[in-house]
Amino acid sequence: MSHGGGGHAAELFPETQVLGIGLVLSLVGMYIANFLPEYAMLIGGALTVPACVAGANTTRKVAAYGLGTGVPSIGMVSLGMGTLSALAAVYLPVAFGIDSMATPIIAVIVSLAIGAIVGKLTQNPVGMKVPIIVSSMIKLSLMGALSILGFCTAFAGGFSANVFIPGAIETGMIGLAFIAAGIAILHPFNACLGPNESHRRTMYLAIACGLLAWLVFAISKLDAISTVISAVLWVATYAMFVKMSLNDASDVLYTPELPKKEE
Amino acid sequence: MDISSIILPLVEITLAGAIINASVHFVPVGGAPAAMATSTGVGTGTTQLAAGAGFTGLLAAAGMAAQPGIMISNPVHALLIMLSGAVGAMIMLGLTMLIGQLIYVYGVGIVPAADKCDVDPITKDPQSAFITPGTTGHGIPTVCFVSGLIGAALGGIGGGMAYVGLLGLGFTIPAIAGVLAIGFFFMNAVLASYNIGGTIEGFHDPKFKKMPNGVIASTVSSLVAAIILIGMSMGL
Repeated sequence: MSHGGGGHAAELFPETQVLGIGLVLSLVGMYIANFLPEYAMLIGGALTVPACVAGANTTRKVAAYGLGTGVPSIGMVSLGMGTLSALAAVYLPVAFGIDSMATPIIAVIVSLAIGAIVGKLTQNPVGMKVPIIVSSMIKLSLMGALSILGFCTAFAGGFSANVFIPGAIETGMIGLAFIAAGIAILHPFNACLGPNESHRRTMYLAIACGLLAWLVFAISKLDAISTVISAVLWVATYAMFVKMSLNDASDVLYTPELPKKEE
Repeated sequence: MDISSIILPLVEITLAGAIINASVHFVPVGGAPAAMATSTGVGTGTTQLAAGAGFTGLLAAAGMAAQPGIMISNPVHALLIMLSGAVGAMIMLGLTMLIGQLIYVYGVGIVPAADKCDVDPITKDPQSAFITPGTTGHGIPTVCFVSGLIGAALGGIGGGMAYVGLLGLGFTIPAIAGVLAIGFFFMNAVLASYNIGGTIEGFHDPKFKKMPNGVIASTVSSLVAAIILIGMSMGL
Protein backbone atom coordinates (compact mmCIF):
# COMPACT_ATOMS: atom_id res chain seq x y z
CA MET A 1 0.00 0.00 0.00
CA SER A 2 1.46 3.32 -0.91
CA HIS A 3 0.25 6.74 0.10
CA GLY A 4 2.82 8.79 -1.73
CA GLY A 5 2.86 7.14 -5.15
CA GLY A 6 2.31 9.82 -7.72
CA GLY A 7 4.60 8.49 -10.41
CA HIS A 8 7.35 10.55 -11.91
CA ALA A 9 6.58 13.84 -13.56
CA ALA A 10 9.24 15.27 -15.85
CA GLU A 11 12.29 16.52 -13.95
CA LEU A 12 13.03 20.09 -14.95
CA PHE A 13 15.96 20.79 -12.66
CA PRO A 14 18.67 18.10 -12.25
CA GLU A 15 18.80 16.86 -8.64
CA THR A 16 22.60 17.13 -8.32
CA GLN A 17 22.47 20.77 -9.44
CA VAL A 18 19.79 21.67 -6.85
CA LEU A 19 21.72 19.78 -4.15
CA GLY A 20 25.00 21.45 -5.09
CA ILE A 21 23.44 24.92 -4.94
CA GLY A 22 21.78 24.09 -1.60
CA LEU A 23 25.01 22.72 -0.12
CA VAL A 24 27.30 25.57 -1.25
CA LEU A 25 24.91 28.43 -0.45
CA SER A 26 23.99 27.14 3.02
CA LEU A 27 27.67 26.61 3.91
CA VAL A 28 28.51 30.13 2.69
CA GLY A 29 25.52 31.44 4.69
CA MET A 30 26.72 29.78 7.90
CA TYR A 31 30.24 31.21 7.60
CA ILE A 32 28.90 34.70 6.85
CA ALA A 33 26.53 34.41 9.83
CA ASN A 34 29.46 33.37 12.02
CA PHE A 35 31.78 36.19 10.95
CA LEU A 36 29.21 38.97 10.59
CA PRO A 37 26.73 38.30 13.43
CA GLU A 38 24.90 41.59 12.73
CA TYR A 39 23.89 40.24 9.29
CA ALA A 40 23.39 36.66 10.53
CA MET A 41 19.63 36.50 10.09
CA LEU A 42 19.58 38.47 6.85
CA ILE A 43 22.24 36.52 4.96
CA GLY A 44 22.49 33.30 6.95
CA GLY A 45 18.72 32.86 7.06
CA ALA A 46 18.30 33.64 3.37
CA LEU A 47 21.04 31.23 2.34
CA THR A 48 19.53 28.39 4.41
CA VAL A 49 16.42 28.51 2.20
CA PRO A 50 18.26 26.71 -0.69
CA ALA A 51 19.10 23.83 1.69
CA CYS A 52 15.39 23.41 2.51
CA VAL A 53 14.54 23.56 -1.21
CA ALA A 54 17.17 20.91 -2.00
CA GLY A 55 15.75 18.69 0.76
CA ALA A 56 12.24 19.16 -0.62
CA ASN A 57 13.50 18.28 -4.10
CA THR A 58 15.00 15.01 -2.87
CA THR A 59 11.81 14.26 -0.91
CA ARG A 60 9.90 14.69 -4.16
CA LYS A 61 12.17 12.27 -5.97
CA VAL A 62 12.20 9.50 -3.36
CA ALA A 63 8.57 9.82 -2.23
CA ALA A 64 7.31 9.45 -5.80
CA TYR A 65 8.24 5.76 -5.50
CA GLY A 66 5.62 5.29 -2.80
CA LEU A 67 7.13 4.80 0.64
CA GLY A 68 4.14 3.02 2.14
CA THR A 69 4.04 5.34 5.13
CA GLY A 70 3.29 8.74 3.64
CA VAL A 71 5.58 11.56 2.62
CA PRO A 72 5.93 13.23 6.07
CA SER A 73 7.80 10.21 7.45
CA ILE A 74 10.81 10.82 5.19
CA GLY A 75 10.87 14.47 6.21
CA MET A 76 10.84 13.48 9.86
CA VAL A 77 13.65 10.93 9.49
CA SER A 78 15.61 13.61 7.60
CA LEU A 79 15.23 16.05 10.48
CA GLY A 80 15.85 13.33 13.08
CA MET A 81 19.19 12.49 11.50
CA GLY A 82 19.79 16.19 10.87
CA THR A 83 19.33 17.15 14.53
CA LEU A 84 21.82 14.52 15.68
CA SER A 85 24.34 15.61 13.03
CA ALA A 86 23.93 19.34 13.68
CA LEU A 87 24.37 18.92 17.43
CA ALA A 88 27.28 16.52 16.90
CA ALA A 89 28.93 19.20 14.75
CA VAL A 90 28.60 21.72 17.59
CA TYR A 91 29.87 19.40 20.35
CA LEU A 92 32.52 17.30 18.56
CA PRO A 93 34.97 20.21 17.95
CA VAL A 94 34.94 20.93 21.71
CA ALA A 95 35.46 17.25 22.53
CA PHE A 96 38.38 16.69 20.17
CA GLY A 97 39.98 20.12 20.26
CA ILE A 98 39.16 20.95 16.64
CA ASP A 99 38.79 24.60 15.68
CA SER A 100 35.10 25.57 15.74
CA MET A 101 35.45 26.85 12.15
CA ALA A 102 35.16 23.20 11.08
CA THR A 103 31.61 22.89 12.53
CA PRO A 104 29.67 23.08 9.21
CA ILE A 105 32.11 20.65 7.59
CA ILE A 106 31.70 18.20 10.49
CA ALA A 107 27.91 18.52 10.12
CA VAL A 108 28.30 17.50 6.46
CA ILE A 109 30.54 14.52 7.27
CA VAL A 110 28.47 13.22 10.22
CA SER A 111 25.17 13.60 8.35
CA LEU A 112 26.56 11.78 5.31
CA ALA A 113 27.69 8.91 7.57
CA ILE A 114 24.39 8.66 9.50
CA GLY A 115 22.39 8.93 6.26
CA ALA A 116 24.39 6.15 4.64
CA ILE A 117 24.02 3.81 7.63
CA VAL A 118 20.28 4.45 8.12
CA GLY A 119 19.75 4.19 4.33
CA LYS A 120 21.53 0.82 4.22
CA LEU A 121 19.44 -0.38 7.18
CA THR A 122 16.17 0.55 5.45
CA GLN A 123 17.27 -1.67 2.55
CA ASN A 124 18.53 -4.57 4.65
CA PRO A 125 17.09 -5.86 7.05
CA VAL A 126 13.98 -3.64 6.75
CA GLY A 127 13.59 -4.35 3.03
CA MET A 128 12.37 -1.09 1.48
CA LYS A 129 11.91 -1.64 -2.24
CA VAL A 130 12.94 1.85 -3.35
CA PRO A 131 16.04 1.73 -5.58
CA ILE A 132 17.30 5.21 -4.68
CA ILE A 133 16.65 4.93 -0.93
CA VAL A 134 20.32 4.89 0.20
CA SER A 135 21.42 7.90 -1.85
CA SER A 136 18.22 9.76 -0.95
CA MET A 137 18.66 9.11 2.77
CA ILE A 138 22.21 10.49 2.52
CA LYS A 139 21.00 13.63 0.73
CA LEU A 140 18.05 14.14 3.09
CA SER A 141 20.21 13.69 6.18
CA LEU A 142 22.67 16.24 4.78
CA MET A 143 19.98 18.80 3.95
CA GLY A 144 18.21 18.25 7.28
CA ALA A 145 21.46 18.91 9.14
CA LEU A 146 22.29 21.98 7.03
CA SER A 147 18.84 23.54 7.43
CA ILE A 148 18.80 23.03 11.21
CA LEU A 149 22.37 24.26 11.64
CA GLY A 150 21.76 27.11 9.18
CA PHE A 151 18.65 28.53 10.84
CA CYS A 152 20.06 28.04 14.35
CA THR A 153 23.36 29.68 13.39
CA ALA A 154 21.45 32.58 11.86
CA PHE A 155 19.46 32.95 15.06
CA ALA A 156 22.37 32.55 17.48
CA GLY A 157 24.82 34.56 15.37
CA GLY A 158 27.49 31.87 15.19
CA PHE A 159 28.10 28.13 15.30
CA SER A 160 30.82 27.81 17.94
CA ALA A 161 29.57 25.95 21.03
CA ASN A 162 29.77 28.97 23.36
CA VAL A 163 27.47 30.99 21.05
CA PHE A 164 25.27 28.21 19.66
CA ILE A 165 24.30 26.47 22.92
CA PRO A 166 22.99 29.51 24.83
CA GLY A 167 21.69 31.19 21.66
CA ALA A 168 19.86 28.39 19.86
CA ILE A 169 19.53 25.36 22.13
CA GLU A 170 18.74 26.76 25.57
CA THR A 171 16.28 29.21 24.02
CA GLY A 172 14.48 26.26 22.41
CA MET A 173 15.05 27.62 18.91
CA ILE A 174 16.36 24.24 17.75
CA GLY A 175 12.87 22.86 18.32
CA LEU A 176 11.49 25.55 16.03
CA ALA A 177 14.19 24.73 13.47
CA PHE A 178 13.21 21.08 13.70
CA ILE A 179 9.58 21.69 12.86
CA ALA A 180 9.87 24.74 10.56
CA ALA A 181 12.63 23.23 8.44
CA GLY A 182 10.82 19.89 8.62
CA ILE A 183 7.68 21.39 7.12
CA ALA A 184 9.74 23.15 4.44
CA ILE A 185 11.26 19.77 3.47
CA LEU A 186 8.25 17.46 3.70
CA HIS A 187 5.30 19.71 2.85
CA PRO A 188 5.90 20.75 -0.81
CA PHE A 189 5.66 17.29 -2.36
CA ASN A 190 3.04 16.17 0.15
CA ALA A 191 0.83 19.06 -0.95
CA CYS A 192 1.49 18.80 -4.70
CA LEU A 193 1.66 15.04 -5.29
CA GLY A 194 -0.88 13.47 -7.57
CA PRO A 195 -1.40 12.75 -11.24
CA ASN A 196 -0.84 16.36 -12.34
CA GLU A 197 2.26 17.06 -10.23
CA SER A 198 4.73 19.38 -11.94
CA HIS A 199 8.30 19.90 -10.82
CA ARG A 200 8.15 23.66 -11.33
CA ARG A 201 5.06 24.05 -9.13
CA THR A 202 6.45 21.83 -6.36
CA MET A 203 9.70 23.79 -6.41
CA TYR A 204 7.84 27.09 -6.14
CA LEU A 205 6.04 25.79 -3.07
CA ALA A 206 9.37 24.55 -1.68
CA ILE A 207 10.88 28.03 -2.07
CA ALA A 208 7.77 29.57 -0.48
CA CYS A 209 7.99 27.12 2.47
CA GLY A 210 11.71 27.81 2.91
CA LEU A 211 11.06 31.56 2.91
CA LEU A 212 8.24 31.06 5.40
CA ALA A 213 10.63 29.20 7.73
CA TRP A 214 13.08 32.12 7.36
CA LEU A 215 10.23 34.57 8.11
CA VAL A 216 9.38 32.68 11.31
CA PHE A 217 13.01 32.91 12.44
CA ALA A 218 13.29 36.57 11.46
CA ILE A 219 10.20 37.36 13.54
CA SER A 220 11.51 35.37 16.52
CA LYS A 221 14.77 37.31 16.38
CA LEU A 222 12.85 40.63 16.02
CA ASP A 223 15.02 41.40 12.99
CA ALA A 224 12.97 44.05 11.15
CA ILE A 225 14.90 44.08 7.84
CA SER A 226 14.92 40.27 7.50
CA THR A 227 11.24 40.10 8.47
CA VAL A 228 10.23 42.60 5.78
CA ILE A 229 12.40 41.04 3.06
CA SER A 230 11.39 37.46 3.84
CA ALA A 231 7.70 38.41 4.11
CA VAL A 232 7.76 40.21 0.74
CA LEU A 233 9.59 37.31 -0.94
CA TRP A 234 7.29 34.76 0.67
CA VAL A 235 4.12 36.56 -0.42
CA ALA A 236 5.53 36.91 -3.95
CA THR A 237 6.51 33.23 -4.33
CA TYR A 238 3.35 31.97 -2.67
CA ALA A 239 1.18 34.17 -4.90
CA MET A 240 3.09 32.78 -7.88
CA PHE A 241 2.46 29.24 -6.63
CA VAL A 242 -1.27 29.86 -6.26
CA LYS A 243 -1.37 31.37 -9.76
CA MET A 244 0.42 28.30 -11.18
CA SER A 245 -1.96 25.97 -9.36
CA LEU A 246 -4.97 27.79 -10.79
CA ASN A 247 -3.43 27.66 -14.28
CA ASP A 248 -2.66 23.94 -13.99
CA ALA A 249 -6.12 23.04 -12.67
CA SER A 250 -8.56 21.79 -15.31
CA ASP A 251 -11.22 24.07 -13.89
CA VAL A 252 -11.71 26.21 -10.80
CA LEU A 253 -15.23 26.27 -9.43
CA TYR A 254 -16.33 28.38 -6.50
CA THR A 255 -19.28 27.36 -4.37
CA PRO A 256 -22.10 29.75 -5.23
CA GLU A 257 -23.90 31.61 -2.48
CA LEU A 258 -27.03 29.81 -1.35
CA PRO A 259 -30.23 31.56 -2.42
CA LYS A 260 -31.81 33.53 0.44
CA LYS A 261 -35.22 31.90 0.00
CA GLU A 262 -36.75 29.51 -2.46
CA GLU A 263 -37.95 31.23 -5.58
CA MET B 1 35.69 9.85 32.04
CA ASP B 2 35.99 6.20 33.12
CA ILE B 3 34.90 3.29 30.98
CA SER B 4 31.86 2.27 33.08
CA SER B 5 30.28 5.70 32.73
CA ILE B 6 30.48 5.23 28.94
CA ILE B 7 29.35 1.61 28.69
CA LEU B 8 26.12 2.07 30.68
CA PRO B 9 24.75 4.99 28.58
CA LEU B 10 25.89 3.18 25.40
CA VAL B 11 23.86 0.12 26.37
CA GLU B 12 20.91 2.26 27.51
CA ILE B 13 20.75 4.28 24.28
CA THR B 14 21.17 1.24 22.02
CA LEU B 15 18.53 -0.70 23.96
CA ALA B 16 16.23 2.35 23.94
CA GLY B 17 16.37 2.46 20.12
CA ALA B 18 15.47 -1.22 19.90
CA ILE B 19 12.58 -0.79 22.38
CA ILE B 20 11.24 2.29 20.56
CA ASN B 21 11.28 0.35 17.28
CA ALA B 22 9.50 -2.64 18.85
CA SER B 23 6.92 -0.36 20.48
CA VAL B 24 5.85 1.15 17.15
CA HIS B 25 4.85 -2.32 15.86
CA PHE B 26 2.23 -2.62 18.63
CA VAL B 27 0.43 0.64 17.83
CA PRO B 28 -2.67 0.11 15.64
CA VAL B 29 -2.48 2.55 12.73
CA GLY B 30 -4.60 2.58 9.63
CA GLY B 31 -3.63 5.86 8.00
CA ALA B 32 -6.07 7.54 5.61
CA PRO B 33 -8.27 4.40 5.17
CA ALA B 34 -8.80 4.27 8.94
CA ALA B 35 -9.80 7.94 8.89
CA MET B 36 -12.57 6.89 6.46
CA ALA B 37 -13.36 3.90 8.74
CA THR B 38 -12.52 1.38 6.00
CA SER B 39 -9.58 -0.11 7.90
CA THR B 40 -8.76 -0.87 11.52
CA GLY B 41 -6.74 1.51 13.67
CA VAL B 42 -6.19 5.20 14.31
CA GLY B 43 -6.51 7.42 11.23
CA THR B 44 -2.97 8.80 11.06
CA GLY B 45 0.54 7.77 10.08
CA THR B 46 2.59 5.40 12.21
CA THR B 47 5.35 7.94 12.69
CA GLN B 48 3.02 10.68 13.87
CA LEU B 49 1.22 8.49 16.38
CA ALA B 50 4.39 6.89 17.70
CA ALA B 51 6.03 10.30 17.92
CA GLY B 52 3.03 11.73 19.80
CA ALA B 53 3.10 8.92 22.36
CA GLY B 54 6.90 9.05 22.54
CA PHE B 55 7.07 12.80 23.14
CA THR B 56 4.41 12.69 25.84
CA GLY B 57 6.42 9.91 27.44
CA LEU B 58 9.59 11.93 27.06
CA LEU B 59 7.98 14.97 28.70
CA ALA B 60 6.66 12.82 31.56
CA ALA B 61 10.12 11.30 31.97
CA ALA B 62 11.75 14.73 31.90
CA GLY B 63 9.24 15.99 34.45
CA MET B 64 10.08 13.10 36.75
CA ALA B 65 13.83 13.57 36.20
CA ALA B 66 13.53 17.23 37.19
CA GLN B 67 11.93 16.39 40.55
CA PRO B 68 14.13 17.32 43.50
CA GLY B 69 15.94 14.34 44.98
CA ILE B 70 15.91 12.25 41.80
CA MET B 71 19.41 10.97 41.04
CA ILE B 72 20.17 9.48 37.63
CA SER B 73 22.90 7.28 39.15
CA ASN B 74 20.34 5.53 41.37
CA PRO B 75 18.86 2.58 39.38
CA VAL B 76 15.52 2.79 41.22
CA HIS B 77 15.21 6.46 40.30
CA ALA B 78 16.16 5.69 36.69
CA LEU B 79 13.43 3.04 36.65
CA LEU B 80 10.94 5.57 38.07
CA ILE B 81 11.81 7.99 35.24
CA MET B 82 11.23 5.29 32.63
CA LEU B 83 7.95 4.19 34.23
CA SER B 84 6.62 7.74 34.38
CA GLY B 85 7.52 7.97 30.68
CA ALA B 86 5.52 4.79 30.07
CA VAL B 87 2.50 6.14 31.96
CA GLY B 88 2.63 9.47 30.07
CA ALA B 89 2.74 7.72 26.71
CA MET B 90 -0.04 5.31 27.68
CA ILE B 91 -2.32 8.18 28.73
CA MET B 92 -1.71 9.97 25.43
CA LEU B 93 -2.30 6.95 23.22
CA GLY B 94 -5.15 5.62 25.34
CA LEU B 95 -7.00 8.94 25.06
CA THR B 96 -6.31 9.18 21.31
CA MET B 97 -7.71 5.69 20.77
CA LEU B 98 -10.69 6.34 23.07
CA ILE B 99 -11.71 9.57 21.32
CA GLY B 100 -11.08 7.97 17.93
CA GLN B 101 -13.29 5.06 18.97
CA LEU B 102 -16.09 7.40 20.10
CA ILE B 103 -15.98 9.09 16.68
CA TYR B 104 -15.94 5.74 14.89
CA VAL B 105 -18.83 4.22 16.83
CA TYR B 106 -21.10 7.20 17.49
CA GLY B 107 -20.04 9.49 14.64
CA VAL B 108 -19.47 7.13 11.74
CA GLY B 109 -21.71 4.40 13.11
CA ILE B 110 -19.51 1.36 12.66
CA VAL B 111 -18.84 -1.75 14.74
CA PRO B 112 -15.17 -2.09 15.77
CA ALA B 113 -13.95 -5.24 14.00
CA ALA B 114 -10.45 -6.50 13.23
CA ASP B 115 -9.71 -7.90 9.79
CA LYS B 116 -6.52 -9.82 10.47
CA CYS B 117 -8.10 -12.34 12.88
CA ASP B 118 -11.41 -14.23 12.82
CA VAL B 119 -11.79 -14.19 16.60
CA ASP B 120 -10.58 -11.36 18.85
CA PRO B 121 -7.72 -12.98 20.80
CA ILE B 122 -8.72 -11.20 24.03
CA THR B 123 -12.52 -11.14 24.11
CA LYS B 124 -12.98 -14.21 21.86
CA ASP B 125 -15.67 -12.28 19.96
CA PRO B 126 -16.08 -13.26 16.30
CA GLN B 127 -14.79 -10.51 14.04
CA SER B 128 -15.39 -11.43 10.41
CA ALA B 129 -19.20 -11.37 10.78
CA PHE B 130 -19.08 -7.65 11.57
CA ILE B 131 -16.71 -6.50 8.85
CA THR B 132 -18.42 -4.37 6.23
CA PRO B 133 -17.86 -5.84 2.73
CA GLY B 134 -15.26 -3.88 0.81
CA THR B 135 -13.40 -2.75 3.93
CA THR B 136 -10.49 -4.27 5.84
CA GLY B 137 -12.09 -3.91 9.24
CA HIS B 138 -12.94 -0.72 11.12
CA GLY B 139 -12.72 1.00 14.47
CA ILE B 140 -10.31 -0.05 17.20
CA PRO B 141 -11.30 -3.50 18.52
CA THR B 142 -10.26 -4.63 22.01
CA VAL B 143 -7.17 -6.49 20.82
CA CYS B 144 -5.93 -3.38 18.97
CA PHE B 145 -6.62 -1.14 21.96
CA VAL B 146 -4.68 -3.41 24.33
CA SER B 147 -1.87 -3.78 21.81
CA GLY B 148 -1.72 0.01 21.45
CA LEU B 149 -1.43 0.45 25.21
CA ILE B 150 1.42 -2.09 25.33
CA GLY B 151 3.12 -0.23 22.47
CA ALA B 152 2.73 3.13 24.20
CA ALA B 153 4.18 1.72 27.43
CA LEU B 154 7.18 0.34 25.57
CA GLY B 155 7.62 3.60 23.64
CA GLY B 156 7.53 5.61 26.86
CA ILE B 157 10.05 3.27 28.49
CA GLY B 158 12.28 3.54 25.40
CA GLY B 159 12.05 7.32 25.25
CA GLY B 160 12.66 7.56 28.99
CA MET B 161 15.63 5.21 28.74
CA ALA B 162 17.17 7.31 25.97
CA TYR B 163 16.65 10.40 28.13
CA VAL B 164 18.24 8.69 31.16
CA GLY B 165 21.17 7.59 28.97
CA LEU B 166 21.67 11.15 27.71
CA LEU B 167 21.51 12.57 31.24
CA GLY B 168 23.99 9.89 32.30
CA LEU B 169 26.35 11.03 29.55
CA GLY B 170 26.27 14.50 31.06
CA PHE B 171 23.72 16.28 28.83
CA THR B 172 22.23 17.72 32.00
CA ILE B 173 20.56 20.74 30.37
CA PRO B 174 17.06 19.34 29.70
CA ALA B 175 16.80 21.31 26.42
CA ILE B 176 19.78 19.50 24.90
CA ALA B 177 18.86 16.05 26.22
CA GLY B 178 15.27 16.59 25.05
CA VAL B 179 16.17 17.72 21.53
CA LEU B 180 18.65 14.87 21.12
CA ALA B 181 16.10 12.35 22.41
CA ILE B 182 13.49 13.69 19.96
CA GLY B 183 15.84 13.38 16.97
CA PHE B 184 16.79 9.91 18.13
CA PHE B 185 13.16 8.92 18.66
CA PHE B 186 12.11 10.05 15.17
CA MET B 187 14.92 8.11 13.53
CA ASN B 188 13.85 4.85 15.20
CA ALA B 189 10.09 5.43 14.84
CA VAL B 190 10.49 6.00 11.08
CA LEU B 191 12.71 2.91 10.69
CA ALA B 192 9.92 0.94 12.36
CA SER B 193 7.21 2.45 10.18
CA TYR B 194 9.22 1.57 7.05
CA ASN B 195 9.36 -2.00 8.35
CA ILE B 196 5.56 -2.00 8.72
CA GLY B 197 4.92 -0.12 5.47
CA GLY B 198 1.49 1.40 6.02
CA THR B 199 -1.11 -0.24 8.25
CA ILE B 200 -0.79 -2.55 11.23
CA GLU B 201 -3.45 -3.73 13.67
CA GLY B 202 -1.15 -4.71 16.53
CA PHE B 203 0.42 -7.89 17.80
CA HIS B 204 -2.10 -10.17 16.03
CA ASP B 205 -1.29 -8.61 12.64
CA PRO B 206 0.70 -10.83 10.24
CA LYS B 207 3.07 -7.90 9.66
CA PHE B 208 4.04 -8.12 13.32
CA LYS B 209 6.26 -11.07 12.36
CA LYS B 210 8.53 -8.58 10.55
CA MET B 211 9.36 -6.90 13.86
CA PRO B 212 12.82 -8.53 14.31
CA ASN B 213 14.03 -6.87 11.08
CA GLY B 214 13.07 -3.44 12.37
CA VAL B 215 14.54 -4.09 15.80
CA ILE B 216 17.88 -5.17 14.28
CA ALA B 217 17.93 -2.04 12.09
CA SER B 218 17.21 0.19 15.08
CA THR B 219 19.80 -1.52 17.26
CA VAL B 220 22.50 -0.88 14.66
CA SER B 221 21.47 2.73 13.98
CA SER B 222 21.08 3.47 17.71
CA LEU B 223 24.54 2.03 18.39
CA VAL B 224 25.97 4.42 15.77
CA ALA B 225 24.01 7.32 17.27
CA ALA B 226 25.18 6.33 20.77
CA ILE B 227 28.83 6.34 19.66
CA ILE B 228 28.40 9.83 18.16
CA LEU B 229 26.62 10.99 21.34
CA ILE B 230 29.47 9.67 23.50
CA GLY B 231 31.93 11.55 21.30
CA MET B 232 29.84 14.70 21.78
CA SER B 233 29.64 14.19 25.54
CA MET B 234 33.44 14.32 25.80
CA GLY B 235 33.24 18.02 25.05
CA LEU B 236 30.93 18.75 27.97
